[in-house]
Parts: sequence; structure tokens; C-alpha cells
Amino acid sequence: MLIFVFLITGLLLIVLQTTVFMFTPTWAAAPDFYYILVAYLAYRLDLLRGLVILLPLSCILDVFSGTILGMYPAICFIGYFLLKVISIKLPVRESLYQVPLVAVSYLFVCWLVYWSLDLMQPDILIPWSWPVMLLRAALIVLFSFPLFRFFEFLSRFLRGKFFSFKVRRPRSGNMFR
Amino acid sequence: MGLIFLVFVFGNQEVGPVHKLLFETAGPVQKAMSRATGSIQSLKKEYLGLLSVREDKDHLWQELQECRAAAYKSREAVATNARLRKLLDFKESSGLPTVAAQVIGKDPSLWFRSVIIDRGSSDGVVKGMPVVTGDGIVGQIYSTSPNYAKVLLSIAPSSALDVLLQGSRVRGILKGTGENTYRLEYILKTVEISEGDHVVTAGYGGLFPTGLPVGVVSRVIKKRRGMFLEIEVTPAVDFETLEGLLVIEQERPSVE
Repeated sequence: MLIFVFLITGLLLIVLQTTVFMFTPTWAAAPDFYYILVAYLAYRLDLLRGLVILLPLSCILDVFSGTILGMYPAICFIGYFLLKVISIKLPVRESLYQVPLVAVSYLFVCWLVYWSLDLMQPDILIPWSWPVMLLRAALIVLFSFPLFRFFEFLSRFLRGKFFSFKVRRPRSGNMFR
Repeated sequence: MGLIFLVFVFGNQEVGPVHKLLFETAGPVQKAMSRATGSIQSLKKEYLGLLSVREDKDHLWQELQECRAAAYKSREAVATNARLRKLLDFKESSGLPTVAAQVIGKDPSLWFRSVIIDRGSSDGVVKGMPVVTGDGIVGQIYSTSPNYAKVLLSIAPSSALDVLLQGSRVRGILKGTGENTYRLEYILKTVEISEGDHVVTAGYGGLFPTGLPVGVVSRVIKKRRGMFLEIEVTPAVDFETLEGLLVIEQERPSVE
């Protein structure tokens, strides 16, 4: 059920991104919702479920965009594994630090995929632009907070924890657990 | 005494000094009262008027909103009408078999330029077919499914069109830049070309019909080195407002 709901949510986010938030075919300020979902899946869900959700969504993105098949799966999976490893290895787990990390990983993954594609098929991509990419990264940061909260709500609701009032263990002041 | 006074006042049945004195004394009071009453009545009238004005204002505001909505709808209908008329004119003047389509989605990526339309292989749309509006070339079909298709826009860097300069009939290759401009390549420096020259499809290879408007030359740079001119072309189509499109049904599309 969780997988199905996240698949539908991801599909809706992609549709939103390609319709409502793309005012014109050359519009640059459309937030990459899909990458926020990639980050959430990397931070919160186990590997198998994360991959099962990501594969069809990245294929849908491939259908909706561009002329190179496999570009979006590459971005999604590289981003996913990068954030997964960081979330496991990094001692800092506060969401305050996680969100900027999403934007930084987005820039890194896009840069990596772009130059790989440009190396393999030169002159078919629009030239790389740092201001536009930074704008997109900023939009990811902007939309990460509400979307993470929404995903968290969905996840808790689907796991039946939404109405359970468990007493939470008081947090220690140690942020580096 | 009283009797004498009464006889003095009323005896001759004329308005005497007493009456006049009373008249003069009561007159101002009456006048003041009359004015005050008039003011109160005017105030009441104004208040009632104000109430009705408020009602009128609400009514007129609602009417204004309705009129604005109607005007907006009307403007939208006029714009749609103009757009459809252009498409229809193109369809009729070109005499080519076409399929009308609507843009339903845009490429979210920063590195490509494509749109999704609501017509697919079940409507006869095949990979490679040219896509146009009433203004000119938009792109070509890149991939299809039974009910939808992806259009590679001609402003995409991966797009290349065989074109002619309409006046001089000089042939060149038009490439997309990703922005709202084209780059016209392989035009020799010896060719006389100026800003404002019209660029149309060449029609070689049978992919695009000959003479479809593509754009207008907006900048010509003649560098000291190299054989060719650097030419910038402004598209005939406004890619910012793409909505309704026509897919030209070519018999033998041949794009790989």
C-alpha cells in the first residue's frame, strides 16, 4: 500500500511539474519535485521499497522529457544511493541539515549526468547554466520542507501511526548520535 | 382686567400689536424648529439613501465581477478564435492533411526542449511528422504512443532543419539554441544577407513541405576568420504561447 500510494504521489508530482509549474516550454523556474521524493525515499524508506517506487517514476520522467532514455533513472538512482550512503554514514541526522544536502546532491548529480551525456552525445543538450541550476536547487530547498512534511504525514498515516499517541523518548542534547 | 385685555385683543378682530409681538416671538422658534425638522428629515433621507447605496454598491460590485468574468471569457474566446482561425487558414491554404492537437505537457528538464501533445499513433501520428502552428514550424514528432506523442521543438539543440533564405534561395541548416532563437549555419560569407530576410523550409528529403515559415533573420555577424556567416534567426512561432498545433500527415516520414 505504501509503495502504491507513493507511486501515485510521485506521478502526481511529475504531472504537476510538467503542467502547472511549466508555464512555457522554456520556463526555468519549475521545481524538481521528483528529486525531493528521491531524497525522502533515501532518508526514510528501505532500499527495496525505495527502488520499486523510483524505477517506474524515473521511467515516466524519461517519457515526458528529453530525447535520451535512461537519463532520469541515472539521476534518480545516483541521487538515491548518494543520499542513502550519506544518511547512513553521516553522524548528523537532523532534517535541518538534510535539506541543504538534498540541494547539494542535486547539483552534484545533475552536473555528473550532464557532463557524462555531453561527453557521449555532444551538442544535443542545452548549455549548462549555473544560475539556472542554482535557481532549481533553491526551489528544491524551498519545496523540501512542505513536501517532506507531506510525505511524512502520508507515511505515518499508511503505517497506522497517525492516531497512535506514543510517548516519545525525550531527546538528549546530543545531535551526533 | 382680564376681560378688558381680552376685549382689547380680540374686540376688533384685527391682528394687533400683541399678535404681532407673539408672531415675532414665535416665528423664529417655528423657523428654527422647521429647519431642525428639515435637517432631521434630510439626515434620515440621506441615511436611508446610504443604506440603499450600500445595497446598490453590493449589487453593482457583483455586476462588475460578472462583467469582468464575461469580459475575460470573451477575450479568451477571441484569442482562441484568432488562434484557431490561423490554424484553419494554414490548414486550408496549405492543402496538406493535418491532425489538430493540443499541448498537454512541457519538458521539465533544463537541457531539452519538447512538449507532449494529445494525439498519438491511433490518430495517424507517426514519428518524424512535422508539427506547425498558423505562424510556422514548431518541431517534429519524436515518439508516439497510441494516444499521445512527444514533439521535439525546433529550438532544441538536437533539432536541425534544412531551410532556404526566401529572397536569395540560399540553402542552410537551421539549428536550435535552446532559447527563443535559431542559429543558421553553413551560409557562405559571399552571400548577401540582411536582417529581416525570411527563412522558410527547404523541403529537401520530403520531411517538411517546402516554403513553411520558420523565422526572420535578426542578426548577421561576419567574422574575419572562417568561411561562413554567423546568423541568428528569430522564430516565426512564439514558443512561449504554444497551445494548439497541427501535425502534418506526411506519407513517408523518414527521420531516425
